Amino acid sequence: MTQVLSNFIKALRAADVRVSTAETIDAAGALEMVGFDERPLLKHALSQVLAKSVDDKQRFDDCFETFFSPIEVGDNGQADAGTPTGNESDFDNSGDGGTPGDGGAPGGGGDDDSLMALLERGDAAALQQAMANAAREVQLQNIRIFTQRGMYMRRILENMGIEAFDDALYQTVKADDNDPRGEGLRQLKARLIEDVAELVDKQMLLYTANSGQRLREEVLQKTPLGRVEMRDFKVMHELVRKLAKRLVSLHSRRRSVSRRGQLDVRQTIRRNIEYDGLMFDTVWKRVRVDRPKVIAVCDVSGSVAQVARFLLLFLYSVSEVIPKVRAFAFSNQLGEVTDLFKSLPVEQALTETLNTWGMGSTDYGGALSELERLTIDDIDHRTTVLMLGDARSNYGDPGDRALRRIHNRARRVLWLNPEPRPFWNSGDSEMQKLGSCCDRVEPCRTLRHLEQVISEIARTAI
Amino acid sequence: MSAAQQSPARQGITDMLAGLGNSGYIASEAIATVVYLAQALSKPVLVEGPPGVGKTELAYAASQLLEKPLIRLQCYEGLDEAKALYEWKYGKQLLYTQVLKEKLGDLMAGTQGLRESIDRLHEFDDTFFNEEFLEPRPLLKALWAENGAVLLIDEIDKSDQEFEAFLLELLQDYQISIPEIGTVKAKIPPLVFLTSNNTREIGDALKRRCLHLYIPFPDSKLEQSIIESRVPELEQRLRQQLVAFVQSLRGLDLKKVPAVSETIDWARTLLLLHAPELDNQLVRSTLNVLLKFQDDIEHVDAEIPALTRAANKHG
Repeated sequence: MTQVLSNFIKALRAADVRVSTAETIDAAGALEMVGFDERPLLKHALSQVLAKSVDDKQRFDDCFETFFSPIEVGDNGQADAGTPTGNESDFDNSGDGGTPGDGGAPGGGGDDDSLMALLERGDAAALQQAMANAAREVQLQNIRIFTQRGMYMRRILENMGIEAFDDALYQTVKADDNDPRGEGLRQLKARLIEDVAELVDKQMLLYTANSGQRLREEVLQKTPLGRVEMRDFKVMHELVRKLAKRLVSLHSRRRSVSRRGQLDVRQTIRRNIEYDGLMFDTVWKRVRVDRPKVIAVCDVSGSVAQVARFLLLFLYSVSEVIPKVRAFAFSNQLGEVTDLFKSLPVEQALTETLNTWGMGSTDYGGALSELERLTIDDIDHRTTVLMLGDARSNYGDPGDRALRRIHNRARRVLWLNPEPRPFWNSGDSEMQKLGSCCDRVEPCRTLRHLEQVISEIARTAI
Repeated sequence: MSAAQQSPARQGITDMLAGLGNSGYIASEAIATVVYLAQALSKPVLVEGPPGVGKTELAYAASQLLEKPLIRLQCYEGLDEAKALYEWKYGKQLLYTQVLKEKLGDLMAGTQGLRESIDRLHEFDDTFFNEEFLEPRPLLKALWAENGAVLLIDEIDKSDQEFEAFLLELLQDYQISIPEIGTVKAKIPPLVFLTSNNTREIGDALKRRCLHLYIPFPDSKLEQSIIESRVPELEQRLRQQLVAFVQSLRGLDLKKVPAVSETIDWARTLLLLHAPELDNQLVRSTLNVLLKFQDDIEHVDAEIPALTRAANKHG
């Protein structure tokens, strides 16, 4: 029983349902109550103990269906279609001893339970049992990559006693090449191999469903944003959201940390009752600290556009900790896109932004003075100005004077440059001039960089 | 095990379903299972689901079924332990000290010097900080209940994260530490229900300690039996039409889809109006019972004839 449960939990974890040890113990407790007899009951009970959110429940359901579903053997399993529980191979294999399938152990054991006899009898239930036992013997649950499929299939077949079967088959055919029994046996063997392949595939699906996905996500986090391909956008968006969620939970706790303010009389009296009302311990009314204001200005021309896409996506995904974001986009002209992001879903707003503002060559001078005109009244000591661009001004006015005036009013100005450091200041890049008007200049090439920058904003803004 | 010979768990759950039904709560099998498990494993239950599917109602029904008092704690931002757990009765303490002032002279009689007086006072140390002067709030009440209780912690997502952390001790060990008195342990662990509308993500630590139940909108069969139980006077034909209508309404893109509580309200409204069956006029004039946003009402208005026609086929 515990073996089945721990295998199931392993499968759940592979499907990205987080199951703690404490929950495993609870599940064992619940399992003892409800037993394996009734499938819906088992499903409800385990789902309530193990899956703790709506998403998890969905994944749990899928996983449960695959894990506790029968592999149909022999004559399409119609032999035992009558009993609901007889179908589930994993159920049956829960009994630790004394089950008829013991004959499936190495060597093929007793005469009646040999693979040959089972196949010829067409005893689907016993065959299934033998298969499940063999799978347990060879520890099929440890399968990780698809190249292991063949190996595990071979081992299971050997464990079921395929060698003895092959010998018998050989003897039969050798004795008489046209013996109909030989042809029948060959067919039986082919079908058996198919069944075993299905079993192995199912197990692999269960235990490795997400590992490929995880690897891909890991790689994508380190890929320069400019080089992420269109087909990976969906995964990237998902990934940004995941990272954003992490940042939100990290920083929303911190947000409620208080500063000293007015004395809270009621709380103070309450707290000091233990000192007979002498005010030893003072309690201060907590002042909720202002949330940060962010003005994000993105160069959306050419190569930078891609990075801008993810920066904006990220910024709007953490709206719980950074609720006030004004976004501007520019190439040769600058415009505010805040309303666009408020009214449309983020992906749509992104496309719209890139289409409207993304044409034309960059004009930093014009864009920055326009930015100054639009926002200077809104910038105060709480505002973080986030510039994203490669600072390539096409040999025009870099706009450093306007940026300096903004810098003088703002809490800080951060410049994110998607180019690697050695390229800065080469050709028409005005990084040095513009950088001198910023508090910090950071390269911003991958999702990792983005995460660090945004985490920094959320943290130091408190 | 044969089908005829039921396992104790199956028996318990069947009883639970019937019992909840008697208290006027038509439960799905998942709901009955969770209540049964919660009792058997003595674990709290975290109930999530869209508003109006009967999360709070479940706790009421369970308390009726188990014949235990229901103690309800409504959560809100800024809820602290003084309001949730206990408070000292300051007034009573002050009054008693005033009244007992005269007694002080008698008590102190015969003591010599400060030290001896203090020693004498020490003998009465805990007089003012014992359970006499303690005002129990819901959580403490639930722990003190003689025959156990059903504790409902409603809308836990509305409370602060600190309060959530504070609940952990209670949920795990059914005990709570009060600095002046010590640890209070429940005589009989109460059955705890926590409800959440998911306005914020509940912490993992809390989730880990609870069984998790998600109540979705009921399917049409279940919803019909709920209406039957709550508004038994309604004719069967109209009931079928009404449920079919609401079910198809849930498929539309609305700001707030009607929940079970709204279906019940609507059923009562139709009963009050002596409506024989659904028609466009009737639906239009009573739609504000089901939908709570003007945008939604306008959006649905055009679809009413089609929806009514489809619903009437069920009648």
